[in-house]
Amino acid sequence: MNHIKPNTMKTIVKIILAGMAVLVTPGFISAQTINWGSLGKEDKHVLNLNAGWDYGVAFGTGYGYHFDIRSLNMPLVLDIGYSFPSGRDILEDFKVKIGGKISLYEIRNIHFIASVYGVFRRYENDFVRMVNFGSDLSAIIGYYRPHWFVAGEFGFDKAVVSNFRHSSAYKEIYPGVKDGWYVPPMGGNYHFGLQAGYSFRQHDFYLSFGRVTSQDWKTTPMVPYYAQVGYNFRIRTSGHKPSNATQVP
Amino acid sequence: MNKTGKMKGRSLYIVSAFIAATLFTGCAKDKYIDEAGNLVPKTAEQDPSLPSILVNGALLHAEAFGPPDSAMVVVLHGGPGGDYRYLLKSKALADQGYRVVFYDQRGSGLSQRFPHSSYYMEVITDELQGVIDHYRTSPSQKVFLFGHSWGAMLASAFVNEHPAEIDGLVLGEPGGLVWQDVKDYVGRSWSSGTIMSESVNDATYLDQMITGKGSEHEILDYKYSLFTSEESSLLGNEGRFPFWRVGYVCNRAMFKLGDENTPDWTTNLHLYTTKVLFLYSENNQAYGREWAQRVSSGYPNVELFEVKEAGHDFPAFEKGWNHSYPVILNYLNSLK
Repeated sequence: MNHIKPNTMKTIVKIILAGMAVLVTPGFISAQTINWGSLGKEDKHVLNLNAGWDYGVAFGTGYGYHFDIRSLNMPLVLDIGYSFPSGRDILEDFKVKIGGKISLYEIRNIHFIASVYGVFRRYENDFVRMVNFGSDLSAIIGYYRPHWFVAGEFGFDKAVVSNFRHSSAYKEIYPGVKDGWYVPPMGGNYHFGLQAGYSFRQHDFYLSFGRVTSQDWKTTPMVPYYAQVGYNFRIRTSGHKPSNATQVP
Repeated sequence: MNKTGKMKGRSLYIVSAFIAATLFTGCAKDKYIDEAGNLVPKTAEQDPSLPSILVNGALLHAEAFGPPDSAMVVVLHGGPGGDYRYLLKSKALADQGYRVVFYDQRGSGLSQRFPHSSYYMEVITDELQGVIDHYRTSPSQKVFLFGHSWGAMLASAFVNEHPAEIDGLVLGEPGGLVWQDVKDYVGRSWSSGTIMSESVNDATYLDQMITGKGSEHEILDYKYSLFTSEESSLLGNEGRFPFWRVGYVCNRAMFKLGDENTPDWTTNLHLYTTKVLFLYSENNQAYGREWAQRVSSGYPNVELFEVKEAGHDFPAFEKGWNHSYPVILNYLNSLK
């Protein structure tokens, strides 16, 4: 098993800076897809399970915290998500996303939503172990009702900086391969598609799907699509009055 | 601002300056994935120390062993886009008095890269003619072709064009000599991976970390090299075979050409009456004697030979080579 070499100041600083950088730069499949029409002010915690195609058959889980910013009247959910692809060695590859989404504007149940995530990815096969810091920014416009929603999304998933460490098998193929940190241009993919879901009581079931294309708009990933089915369980905090949104069907 | 506030502001400024300075000096030594030699080996035009020849405007990584004037065996690698590293055991033929010629086809291995639009089958067969002409020292020097996989398809395409120019032919598991057979074989040989398998995951999950445009050969070749880390178990190889670089653009271009033109490299093979040695491996589950008979049926005079204890890439491995070498040598000696 390969690990990140944490023994140099330079490496640590780079990791921190890359982490900071991705939090303020533009993002893919949202860690959680939310029905803003059913999300009441008393729904403080959102637990998520999901599965689908995200550069491979992938399974994920997440947790989100709903901030009630009354002065701005902009619902904000900060969340963390973890996902991993299927395969023989499921701990070799994974993705962690930290960030949030905010409903910037709402008119007649139409919400304009922005989401920003920092992404940490790990990939390993017999030739290389890669870790990557990236970002995932999306814009979503949708029609949200308490019991259902439909939305369109567009976003950009960028691999910003990566560390490569090659195995002895690859070094037999190419002894001169250079391990270490690699900076942009690394890679990036646009994604665009649809979201839809059904909600009742504290439960949301949703589906999102769409197409993926590389940042040059000419090439595509091997499978140029994404799809996710998911489930959210909203935990209500006592002391908050139920919102109209959750009471009115 | 009070004193504490000023100190906090100054501390933040110092920390920010330190981080910025560290980042700047660190980035100066950072590496780029599209830089030659970082992740895949340099090619002949990037590294002049590599042995190379200039053929039809392409700088080809090439080597020859054995007496220059003796019967020539031109070794043709698989792929398209592979290289001759895995075929180097064939150098043993030089010890038996043959002139053994290896070259990486254009866009493959350590040979010069070319854009997608520059690939045509005629360019590849003309290149083979150019390599023969480069090494041939007299018109009477005999020329044999030893092609493996895609290389065996190329050898057949060349013989189909020039039936009188080749004095002997050793073919190792060409997928097919008509395009539909090629597609059927390729599809069959890679059918072991399910959508949830490690091999599929290894190939697709990478797409979110590295992307490359059609002109970014270093990136594309590296990604394609990583795909080969998980090989189809159906091929029955003894292990992972050695290579230098996989030419992604060449590979994609040749398959696209095949799909568009659906070539048939058997139309003139009936004119090639010299006996052909056709090798297939015991352990390649996607091949077998029946498929070998089908693929070789265009040749009027064929000797089929099953390479025991070996898979598709039998010339790369001890058992495969040890079982096939005596047969190849006997065949060549019979025509020398």
